[in-house]
Amino acid sequence: MLAGLVAWAVQFTVIYGATSTLCGRGWVGATMLGVGNVQAIILAATLAALAVTALALAWSLRLYGQAGDRAAPADRFMSQTGALINGFSLLVILWHGIPAFILPACA
Amino acid sequence: MGKGRAAGQESCQCGGEAEFAFWRPVAGCFAGTKSHGQAYPFSACKTHVGQMDLEATWRDAPRRLRAATARAAAFACVLSLMGCSGVQSALDPAGGDARQIYWLTVIMTVGGTLIFLFVTGLLLYAIFAPPERRAWLGSRRTIVYGGLAFPIVILSALLPYGLIVMRDTDVPMPDALPIEVIGEQYWWRVKYPVEGGKPEFATANELVVPVGRPVTVSVTSADVIHSFWIPNFGGKIDMIPGRINRLNFTAERPGIYRGVCAEFCGDQHARMAFDMVALEPAAFEAWRAAQAKPAQDPDAPHLARGRELFRIAGCGSCHVVRGTEGNGAFGPDLTHVGSRRTIGAGQFPNNIGTLAGWIANTQHIKPGVRMPSYGSFTGEDLRALAGYLESLK
Ligand code: HEC
Ligand SMILES: [Cu+2]
Repeated sequence: MLAGLVAWAVQFTVIYGATSTLCGRGWVGATMLGVGNVQAIILAATLAALAVTALALAWSLRLYGQAGDRAAPADRFMSQTGALINGFSLLVILWHGIPAFILPACA
Repeated sequence: MGKGRAAGQESCQCGGEAEFAFWRPVAGCFAGTKSHGQAYPFSACKTHVGQMDLEATWRDAPRRLRAATARAAAFACVLSLMGCSGVQSALDPAGGDARQIYWLTVIMTVGGTLIFLFVTGLLLYAIFAPPERRAWLGSRRTIVYGGLAFPIVILSALLPYGLIVMRDTDVPMPDALPIEVIGEQYWWRVKYPVEGGKPEFATANELVVPVGRPVTVSVTSADVIHSFWIPNFGGKIDMIPGRINRLNFTAERPGIYRGVCAEFCGDQHARMAFDMVALEPAAFEAWRAAQAKPAQDPDAPHLARGRELFRIAGCGSCHVVRGTEGNGAFGPDLTHVGSRRTIGAGQFPNNIGTLAGWIANTQHIKPGVRMPSYGSFTGEDLRALAGYLESLK
């Protein structure tokens, strides 16, 4: 149920950490395959987090589907909340990745 | 209904029939203060809210709405007269950056208002519509589309839009004209550094830029934190002691604008402004060449007397007048003070009268500035001194 949030937290830490370290140390010039290294790291972290969250979302949706009308109220609540949280995490991770591709890395 | 209404009127002693409406007990209870000249006792709140007369409120609503609309329209009118065009208005952008910020503001404000009105409408509908007609509001479909999909789409569009505005405003340009501005209590020291073989010089309370050429203003402060803001050209930028911040913009049309200090910095913060003049490139170069020259020598006896008084009174210990003994770096550079539009950091039009008034009454017209009043000059001397300053074109 919390997989999405954890993935978001990890993505958050990685992109903030990487951006400030690289910018602070002046290691920004390096590129990988024509993409700035900051952008590359953010892209990788974002895609990884998205993948994990998408899996978690699929799983919680399945749980939600299984927990039909006959399931205990607590189970239904948990599966619903799980799907919601994972859905939101997916969106937020995406939003978090966008700025790197619009703004300069170290402004 | 009749009974509750009568009781309400009695105990609150409101004047006419129109005075009693649903908002009165509510407003009275929140504020607990006088409205329409009569105290509203807290003890009455409970009863009055209980007596809130919905029917009368409905009956009264159209009139109330009309009055409110008229008031709002009048207010908007006044506002637009005051703020929508002018020398110091973010609503009248004169540069590309300011225009982008302006449109961002318009879209956010108008969009936000429309969404607010729509949601308020739905809220009222949910409260007042008959149950069978408002049932759809609680359906899963409404919640998923209106409550989830709609905000997600709007926010997903606004995020990149806002980021793009951020990326495209305040961008440093390689061939920009460098200008340095230092905030001091309560005026602006302005320096034009050496650039392309043209000599450096200093002026004050005035920023002159060429139209069409990017400008980079580097700002800092000599004392407390100030903030540099020319609404027609872009955002604010803090002036922080020991730190240099930069603001980049390009003026697109010639004109006279006004900048202000946008961070409270002391008693005279409100009187800390400056003129910003955007000139055609040729006029700008002429201005720059003139400013770099030393001060003009007086060409009349009373002006020479003025220069002598300037020296005797010790003005030169705080003010630079290039080409004379005056070399004090504490106050504004006065070498070409006569060419400026205003004095006192954008406070008074610049002429012999205001100059004399400033010298004789400094602490009276801008109390707390770091220049003493010189109240003991004779009228003739004061005229000579002010005339001398005015002649420093
Ligand atoms: C103790 C230093 C000091 C002395 C002495 C002094 N001034 Fe000033 N003067 C200042 C400061 C500081 C300001 C800026 C005031 C403000 O905050 O607007 C100023 C402002 C001015 C201005 C307005 C400049 C502008 O562009 O707005 C004039 C004109 C001026 N002084 C003339 C004089 C004359 C004439 C004398 C001598 C009779 C004199 N000052 C003596 C410190 C001094
Ligand atoms: Cu200030």
